[in-house]
Amino acid sequence: MLLCSLTLSLCANASAPEDAVTARSVVASLGRPAPARTPFAEARFMKMLDQPLVVSGQLSWLGDDRLERAVDHPNREVSTIADGQVTQQREGRPPRSFSLKRAPQLQLLLDSFVALLGGDSTRLEQAFTIQYHGDDARRWTLALTPRDPTLAHTVSRIEIDGRGTEPRCMRMQEADGDLAVDLLGELSGKMPAAPTRDGLAALCQGG
Amino acid sequence: MPFRGRLWLLVAWLAVLALLGGFVVHRLRISTDLRSFMPSPTTPDQRLLMEQVGEGPGSRLLLLAITGPSEAQLGTLSQQLAAALHKDERYSQVLNGSFDLTALDPALLPYRYLLSPTLDSATFDAPFLRDQLEQRLDDLSSPGASLLKGLLPRDPTLEVLKLAERWAPAKSPELREGVWFSAQGEALLVVQTRAAGFDPDAQANAIDGIRQAFDALPDHAGATLSFSGPGYFSVVAATQTRGQAEWIGRVSTVGFIVLLLLAYRSVGSLLLSALPIASAALAGIAALVLLFPQVHGITLAFGFTLLGVAQEYPIRVLSHRRAGEDAVQSVRDLWPLLLTAIASACIAYLAFYASGVSGLRQLAVFTITGLLVAGFSTRYLLPHLLPARVRDVAPMPWLVAARRTVDALPRPRWIPLVVALATVLMLGLAQGPFWQNDLAALTPLPHELLQRDAHLRDALGAPDVRYLLILEAPTEQGVLALSERIEPEVTALVARHAVDAVELPSRYLPSEAVQRARQQKLPSREALEQALAEAQQGLPFQHGLFAPFLDDVETARSLPLLTPERFAASPLGQRLAAMLVERDGRWLGLGTLSGVHDVAALQQLAHASGGAVRLLDLKDAAESLVVDYRARILRALLAATVLLVVAISVALRSLRRAWHVLAPMTLATFLVLAVERVAGVEISLFHLVALILAAGLGLHYALFFERDTGDAAEQRRTLHATLVCVLSALLVFGMLAWSSIPVLRAIGLTVSLGVAFHFCLSIVMAPHARKD
Repeated sequence: MLLCSLTLSLCANASAPEDAVTARSVVASLGRPAPARTPFAEARFMKMLDQPLVVSGQLSWLGDDRLERAVDHPNREVSTIADGQVTQQREGRPPRSFSLKRAPQLQLLLDSFVALLGGDSTRLEQAFTIQYHGDDARRWTLALTPRDPTLAHTVSRIEIDGRGTEPRCMRMQEADGDLAVDLLGELSGKMPAAPTRDGLAALCQGG
Repeated sequence: MPFRGRLWLLVAWLAVLALLGGFVVHRLRISTDLRSFMPSPTTPDQRLLMEQVGEGPGSRLLLLAITGPSEAQLGTLSQQLAAALHKDERYSQVLNGSFDLTALDPALLPYRYLLSPTLDSATFDAPFLRDQLEQRLDDLSSPGASLLKGLLPRDPTLEVLKLAERWAPAKSPELREGVWFSAQGEALLVVQTRAAGFDPDAQANAIDGIRQAFDALPDHAGATLSFSGPGYFSVVAATQTRGQAEWIGRVSTVGFIVLLLLAYRSVGSLLLSALPIASAALAGIAALVLLFPQVHGITLAFGFTLLGVAQEYPIRVLSHRRAGEDAVQSVRDLWPLLLTAIASACIAYLAFYASGVSGLRQLAVFTITGLLVAGFSTRYLLPHLLPARVRDVAPMPWLVAARRTVDALPRPRWIPLVVALATVLMLGLAQGPFWQNDLAALTPLPHELLQRDAHLRDALGAPDVRYLLILEAPTEQGVLALSERIEPEVTALVARHAVDAVELPSRYLPSEAVQRARQQKLPSREALEQALAEAQQGLPFQHGLFAPFLDDVETARSLPLLTPERFAASPLGQRLAAMLVERDGRWLGLGTLSGVHDVAALQQLAHASGGAVRLLDLKDAAESLVVDYRARILRALLAATVLLVVAISVALRSLRRAWHVLAPMTLATFLVLAVERVAGVEISLFHLVALILAAGLGLHYALFFERDTGDAAEQRRTLHATLVCVLSALLVFGMLAWSSIPVLRAIGLTVSLGVAFHFCLSIVMAPHARKD
């Protein structure tokens, strides 16, 4: 078992058909009725910054293709995705909005998040090729690669780690090397004061 | 004339025609700009209208829509087509919604600090920069981060985005796949051509270029490209008109030849009688080539129609030949009357010359030259070529019977009175407006096309083609300053929904004064470095990240101010250039309006400016232009009428005889007008032109019927000639009357009615013929 988890992709490839079935059942088990809310903490590692940016707040799926990302810390900001439009509201500033099509990351976030929370594996498979690794249904990782070549140009891979029916972690690897790690649910309270890429990866995959 | 002499004459004539033909082909330059057929403008608004109609930014816009199976394919096609057209000289602007920084030429990028309003209210000091950098951190942690990651090192205050927002169309279509899409799922593009909008040939070339570029795209299969916009419409209208005119022309030419063969039973006579007409046409074109740099296509089309009168000259000669009589002798007898007819037709066409419209002047030169050449070659050349022996038409039984019937017609003196009274009554009772002032009504477009245009224009937020806001100042900079001054009021009007959007020149380029003020607020490199270092303290941005920002600000400090000329090198500068016009040493700025809801509010704005700003209603200006035009033609016609009365009276040496000729002609002309009015036809300029042509033909009928030779056979020949002329005119113009294109229908209907009325009235009102 240990060997297998060290060479995750090999195992996944070796047992692809069964894993596809498992992936579907995992996704289906994640489904919950809207509105579904979860606290989150995000660390963003960027080339142009010396330190990662850390924010925390609440992610909500409001049903259909509507998603809300409310940041409480360090500054309040509410972003809403609805009807293909993204609206950003910050305290003391007029709201800004832009088309979802201009923000490929958001499109992917929406696709993956809504599909997961809706338990909709068909939708997930439409947007991504899925690789499933997991020792059992209690602890798993879904690796999503965007099918759309232009989207894959900006976001190369999204990895979602979970335990049982709870997603715990979402890692968005951008093509230019930047990385965003979102800790979800109870894990969101465990964001270190000075997060590192390796530290967060261990946190997501570990106990 | 001996056979050898006739042969030489024929060869010499044909040789001269061939030479003329060669000269014409070599030198003829045809223009298709419809504006040379519009009256010359007199008021400033009218002059502006004429320029705008052809070259204004609105009239040169082609709206493109691509439909196809998948959005992804449409998006790719839109991008590829835009890329292909960008490289083509024929298009000055191609927009498909994919706004990137290339909209601002990379060389112009440092100018963003002079173009963006940021420095009007802020300075690049530590507190401002600190606030900006903190906001950028928030931006980077927000979902939209990827939008500005690339921009940040060079432009931490996001001036490029501010400019993009400022320059984006006020109401732009939805972006999908990175390009504009309509609600119906079509990919939308806007292309501005360099060619004038009302030049159908140049527009056809531009449209073909787009089609070819589209067809050359690798995956265009399954997708279709469609067009809209003024330029496309002018192409559609021109093609439709040309198509119908050609079709009708072919049918009536065949009919005409059959008619002449039936009437004269001689192929030789038919071919020879074509020579004066061919000479007339070639001489007319040669005269145009010598006098004008370019000949208008419409001049030629109308000119050939009007030359139809000249066909009468050889017909008269053929019909009036007597058995055994030399053709030269027949012509000599006819000549005084023929000369009167030619002179009076020339006088009528002089009215066109006096109208002052360049297209109509060309028309006058063409027809007058043509008529003179046709007349004189019929008199001095044709008779020498005609065969010596011919069949006299006079003894033909049907003609004898016809003449008898005509002579037996009652000719009560009250007929003219009754007809005049009926005409007056009909003119008085007719409903609806008398004149057709709307030029657009003459070039009709299918309803679907117009609806589609409205739909695309709405989706693209493309400017209204009817209203323009005119800003006037002594200098270009004055216009820009004025534009800056009224910007707040205009913004207020947009907020009140009086108008959806207004595009002013200052939106693209601030005046030099404003640019200078902004430039002077830019800090020195050291000051900026210091402020930035202070602002960055405690923020995670990497050291040296903003070096490109420092460089750009330093460059901007010493840039020469951006003038419209310097700006014109970039696509947006082109757009600005189209909005600035020099006129008599003063400058005009053209503000385009989209979605005008409250004209009064805009007029109020103009009124408050004390004359510096005006709201121009292009439709009003166009209508006033047409009214002026008509008044001028009517005045010229009045003068021509007076000249005609004098000329005919002198030629016939009798006022009474002149009355017999002119009365039926005048009465018939007004009768046509009255009948058309009662039928609900609004009278346009083309109806007037056609009335003049019909009057010219009617004058011939009246002149020949009035002639009293005292010889019954000669009277029969007159009837024969007139019948052939009337039938051929009815054939040609009757066909035009069936056309679905209003211009052709107006001419066809008016001339056919005219020919019929002139014929009937000149028979009935002719002095009573003596019985055999």
